[in-house]
Formats: sequence, C-alpha cells, structure tokens
Amino acid sequence: MGRALNWRTLRVALLCLGIGVFASCSKGPASDVDDKVTTLGDTEVTAQLEEIKGEFADQTNYDYAFVMKYKVLKVHRGKLDTDTIYVGHYNPLTPRATVADERVKDVGGTLKKFRVGDIHRMALAAPMDDFFMGGIINRYFDEYKGPVYWAHWTNPGVKP
Amino acid sequence: MALRIWGCVGVVAVCLLGASVWAAPPQDPAVAALAKEVATQGWVCYGARAESGSWDLFLMRPDGSQKRNITNTPDFEEAAPRFSPDGTRLLYRRLPKGATINHDRWGFQGELVISNADGSSPVAQGGEGDLSWASWSADGKQVSCLTKKSIDIVDLATRQVVRQLPRQGVYQQLYWSLDGKWFCGVANHQGASWTVVRLNADTGECNSARDYQNCTPDWHPDSKHIILSSRPAGQPGDKGQGYTQLWMVSADGVEQQLIYGQDGSHIYGGMVSPDGKYILFTRSVKDGNGSENAGAEICIMRASDAPSIGGASPDLRKVHPNTKDGPVLPLDTGWEPYWTYANPGAK
Repeated sequence: MGRALNWRTLRVALLCLGIGVFASCSKGPASDVDDKVTTLGDTEVTAQLEEIKGEFADQTNYDYAFVMKYKVLKVHRGKLDTDTIYVGHYNPLTPRATVADERVKDVGGTLKKFRVGDIHRMALAAPMDDFFMGGIINRYFDEYKGPVYWAHWTNPGVKP
Repeated sequence: MALRIWGCVGVVAVCLLGASVWAAPPQDPAVAALAKEVATQGWVCYGARAESGSWDLFLMRPDGSQKRNITNTPDFEEAAPRFSPDGTRLLYRRLPKGATINHDRWGFQGELVISNADGSSPVAQGGEGDLSWASWSADGKQVSCLTKKSIDIVDLATRQVVRQLPRQGVYQQLYWSLDGKWFCGVANHQGASWTVVRLNADTGECNSARDYQNCTPDWHPDSKHIILSSRPAGQPGDKGQGYTQLWMVSADGVEQQLIYGQDGSHIYGGMVSPDGKYILFTRSVKDGNGSENAGAEICIMRASDAPSIGGASPDLRKVHPNTKDGPVLPLDTGWEPYWTYANPGAK
C-alpha cells in the first residue's frame, strides 16, 4: 500500500514537472508573457539590449524618452526586415511597472532596470512619433535614419 | 485722562503709519518710472489662484493696478489665456476642479474655451484634450492645434480641420506668428530634444531657432524673432542643472541674445508687448514657475534694457559682463501672462 502510494506520488510529480518544463520552454518565465506584451502595438519581439548610448538624463521635473539599440532574437508578432532595431523607452530610470502617467498611459511591463546585455520581451509600434509627444533623446540620429520603435510594454525575456 | 486718550491716539497713529510704511516699501524711482510708463498701455491677462483656491483668470493694468477676476469659477481651474490678435477675444484652457496644471502638458489638458476679452460669454470649443495647444491665426478665424499625427488648422466657425501639416517633431507650445506665415514650437529636431524650431506655415519646412534646453517660445510682433526660455549648458547653479533664462533669437537662428537672467531664479512665460517695447515674463526660484502650485512673480522690463541680469548673479555675470540691468517691475503672482493693447478692462 505504502509502496503503491509512493509510485503514484512519484508519477504525479514527474507529470507536473514535465508540464512545468514544457510550459517554461514554450512561454519563458512567468514575467515574460502577459496579455499586454502579446496585444499592445503591432510588433512583439524578444531582443537583446545591445547598447545604451551615453547616460540617461536624471531629470525629475521633465519627462522624456530614450532611444536604445537592440539585437532581435525572435519576432513573435509583426514583421521586421532587420535584426537591429532602435527602441524608445519612456522615462528609462523608472521601473516599467510604475512608468505610466498622465502623459503616457499605455506603457508598462515588469522590467525594473535597463542593463546592456539583458534580454527583453517587448510590444512595439512605429513610428515612435505617432505614440509619444515629448522630448526624445536619440543619440543614434546621425548614424541611423530609419524608423524608431516605441516600447509599449517591456518585460524581462529569455533567450529563445 | 485727556492726556491718556491723546497718548493712545498717538500710539495708534504711529502704528498705522508704521504699518503702511512696512506694507508699501518705497519703490525704486526707476521701477516707479517704468510703472508709470506702462500703466495705461493696455491690459495683462493671467491665471492665478483666486480666494476660492481654484485657478481663475485675472485682468490687470501693466503696472499691477485695477486687478480683477474675470472668470470667478470655483468649480474649474482656468489657465493660459491668449488674446486674439485684435484683442476682442480670449482663448484659454479650462480644467476640472482640483486638476493640477502641468507646466509642460497644459496645452493637452482640459477643454479649450473662447470668450470675450473681458471673460464674458465663455464657450467650450470641444471636449477634454481637444484642440490641444490652440493658437490664434492672424485673422482670429482659425486656430492651429497640435496632435500626435499633425499640426491641424481648425476653422472656428465650423470646427472643421481645414488643413494639416506634418508636426516635424514639435511636441508642445506651438504658436502661430502674427503675420500668419510661421509657427514656432518646442521640438525634437536633428536628434536634439527641447529645440525651439520655426516652421513655414505653407510648406512645413523647419529650421532650428535655438537648440539645447529651450521652451515656452512665443513670437515677437515682427514675426521675425522668437522670445523663449533657455537653460544654457555649463551653469554651476542649481546642482549643475543651471537656471532658465529669457532669450530672444531671430527665427532663422542666426541672432541669439540674452534678455533677462538671474542666478537662483528660473525665467519663463516670456512675451513681447504688442508694440515691441516691453517684455513680460515670470520669475521663480522653483523650476516650472509654479503652475502646479500658485504661479510665479509676473514681471515687466523694457526691451531696450536687454540684456539685463537681476540680483548679484556672479555666475551669469561672468558669461555676460556687459549688461544694462534696467528696472524690473514686479507685479502679481500668476502664470502664463498675456498682454494686449486693446481695452478689455474698460467698463
């Protein structure tokens, strides 16, 4: 009796583990995917933050967006012709969970801090000017003239 | 007994005299002369806290006299009045009671209201956030507005958008020149934010008038120069952030001149009087000049006294050693003042 119970428990545990592994392989960590990142904007990617050019502006009295350079690892939604994209993030010193305000309502996510090399899952749209009216710090202006994406939602991502 | 009574009368008289002297310190003769000079030069309209605590619109003579509340609406917050070019009407934003007026976003806030120049017959022109950053056309029949997609020209009679221009990165404080040929505004331009630009009203062609940390531009009545607030780099004050100064630039960006600055104070809300002879501005220790609180000190100076520096301002004087430092006339506390030589205050 005790032996049978142990086998049954072990099988259930293995099944749960299998489901868990499958879920994590298909969806990433719990914070990777949510109903915002899969629906906002028209493009959804997992991308590695390749460069933050210069310092963020530490201006508590003024809102701004800051353009960062990404290497795209996977396109989940929409279509991209390049694996390098430029993305504008609103008030980048603020954790995404609290960044939305009166000026910009449809932004957020679970990312707490921008660090070069980290992987992000993002809901994007372009051109940025159609979604944000405010000061934009774009230190790539002289080297890149293509569309700059607006980050609606930014979660920590996992390498596909 | 009689002596005691006369003694009390004497004490009271001395107290009253002392109080009156304390309440109205003798004015600098140069400032008094400026006050006398501008006293009958039209009217200034501005937003300020009323006794109810809400923001109302006020009219006063440019010497600060004859102040009166022209909206008297404790159930709304009103701000940013601008007279029509002929001085007969006023446009402003009206926000719900208790709303905080944001010093950068106010043009997107509340509803646009147009009234007679004395505040009578106010009519809302749309809903919350509609007709953002509205600015009069030269003939007062249209307003220009700023949206995420474009600059819209709206006919006020039909409220229809009759023309659109690309907004060219402009994101706030869009104003139409008095000759109708240009717009100025704060923009992201050539990769730099907080650049004041000039746009051709027909073609949308855009050039920088002054880059690096500028805002609150407005047109000189000649439609060739722009008055603006600027925070030049390299200022040690305010923890290295520096102070905002008032500048005049030619709209093509070639001429750049300091108008007024003062270490320890931020200067915003610059406007040139309709004849170009005087400069109206606000001065505040706190950045943003108080739209979120109670406003800032409204001031007037002569344009011919530019450049002027107020106070000791040792850092600013190192950069601008040859200033005229003419008189500055402090007026009421308020925000976004606007000047007309028409006579809306006549009863």
